[in-house]
Amino acid sequence: MKLSKVFFNGVVKENPIFVQLIGMCSVLAVTTAAKNGLAMGLAVTGVLIGSNVVVSLIRKVVPNKIRIPAFIVVIATFVTIVEMFMKAYAQDLYNALGIFIPLIVVNCIILARAESFASKHGLLASAVDGLGMGVGYTLALLILSILREFLGSGSIFDIQMLGPSFEPAIIFLMPPGAFILLGILIGIFNSIRNKQASKEVLQKEEAR
Amino acid sequence: MNETIKLALILFIITAVAASVLAISNSVTSERIAEADRLASERAKMEVLDIAEEFKQLDENRLKEIVGDNTNITEINEGYKGSDLVGYTFNIEVNGYGGPLTFMTGISKDGKITGIKVLVHEETPGLGANSTRPFFTDSFKGKPVDSEITAVREPKADNEVQALTSATVTTNAIVDGVNLIRQIYSEKLSN
Repeated sequence: MKLSKVFFNGVVKENPIFVQLIGMCSVLAVTTAAKNGLAMGLAVTGVLIGSNVVVSLIRKVVPNKIRIPAFIVVIATFVTIVEMFMKAYAQDLYNALGIFIPLIVVNCIILARAESFASKHGLLASAVDGLGMGVGYTLALLILSILREFLGSGSIFDIQMLGPSFEPAIIFLMPPGAFILLGILIGIFNSIRNKQASKEVLQKEEAR
Repeated sequence: MNETIKLALILFIITAVAASVLAISNSVTSERIAEADRLASERAKMEVLDIAEEFKQLDENRLKEIVGDNTNITEINEGYKGSDLVGYTFNIEVNGYGGPLTFMTGISKDGKITGIKVLVHEETPGLGANSTRPFFTDSFKGKPVDSEITAVREPKADNEVQALTSATVTTNAIVDGVNLIRQIYSEKLSN
C-alpha cells in the first residue's frame, strides 16, 4: 500500500470527525477556542502515532486473546506521558483542556486505529496512519474551533477580530451551537467528497 | 492452565514495561510540575495582594480556628512587606454554575479588598467564564471590607461591583464568597 494513500485516507476519506464521527464528546467540549482545539488535536495526534507504532511493533508477540487489554495499556501509557509533559511545560493549556486529556484513553479513534490498522500493518505504515488520522482530527478540530471562537467571542486565537459593536452569538460557544456548526461542516465536507468520488468514477469510465 | 499462565505472564511483562516507562517520564517531569504549580500559586498571591513581597501560609490549626465551620475556605496566607504584615490572601471554594469554583481574594491590613482571581472553574465559556477577565475581577479592587458587596450592571457606589451579564449564578457565587471572607476578616483578623 502506498504511504501517501494511507496518509490521505486519514485526512480526507476516513476523517475521524467528518466521516467516522467518533470521539464527539471531547470534540464538542474543547472546541470553544481555537487554541484549545489545536492543543487537543496535537495531543491526540501524539498519542495516535505513539500507540500505533508500539502496537505495530508488538503485534506478533501479543496473543490474539489478550490483544485488547495490551493495546489499552499501551494507549494509557502514552496518554499519561502526554499529560505529564503538558502539565510540566504548558500548564495553561493543561488547565484549559482539563479532564479531556486523561479521557483520550477512551477516545475510540485511538483503539480503533490500533485494532483495525496497526495490529495488521508494519511499523512505517502504522506511523503514517497515526499521523494521517491525527492530522485529519486536528484539522477538523481547528476548523470547528476557529468558527466557534469567531462567531461566539469575535476573536481567533485570542486576537480580537471584530470591534466592540459586534454582539457575540454566545450559542456557538455552547453545545447546541457546536452541534449546528458540526452538522453544517459535515454536510459541506460530504458534498465535496461525493463530487470528487463521482468525478473519479467518470474518469475511470472515460479511460475505458 | 498452561495457556492462562502464559497469557498472564505476557500481560505482566507489557504492564511492567509500561510502568517503567511512566516512572522515567515522571522523574523527568515531576520537579517541573511542582515548580510550575508553586509559581502559579505564587503569581496568583502576588496578583491579589500586590503590596506584599512575601507570603506565609497559616498552619492547619490556626486556619481551623479562624474559619470555624466555613471549611470551604481552604487556605489563608499572610502577606509581608519586609517584616510588616500588610494583608492576607484567602482561597475559597464555592459552587458555580458548572461545578466547584475556586478563587483567591486579597485583603489589605487597612481594610480594603486588593483583588480577586479565579483559580479553577468549569463555567460556561463567554458567560460565567468571563469571571476570569479583568473587567470583572478589577471591579472588586479597593472595595472597603466593612460593607456588604453587591453586584450590579453599572457599579457606582463604593460597595458595588460589576455583575456578569447572563451569569447570575457565577456572579452571586463569587460575591457571596467575597462577603464571607470579608466577614471572617473583620471578625477574626482585622485587629
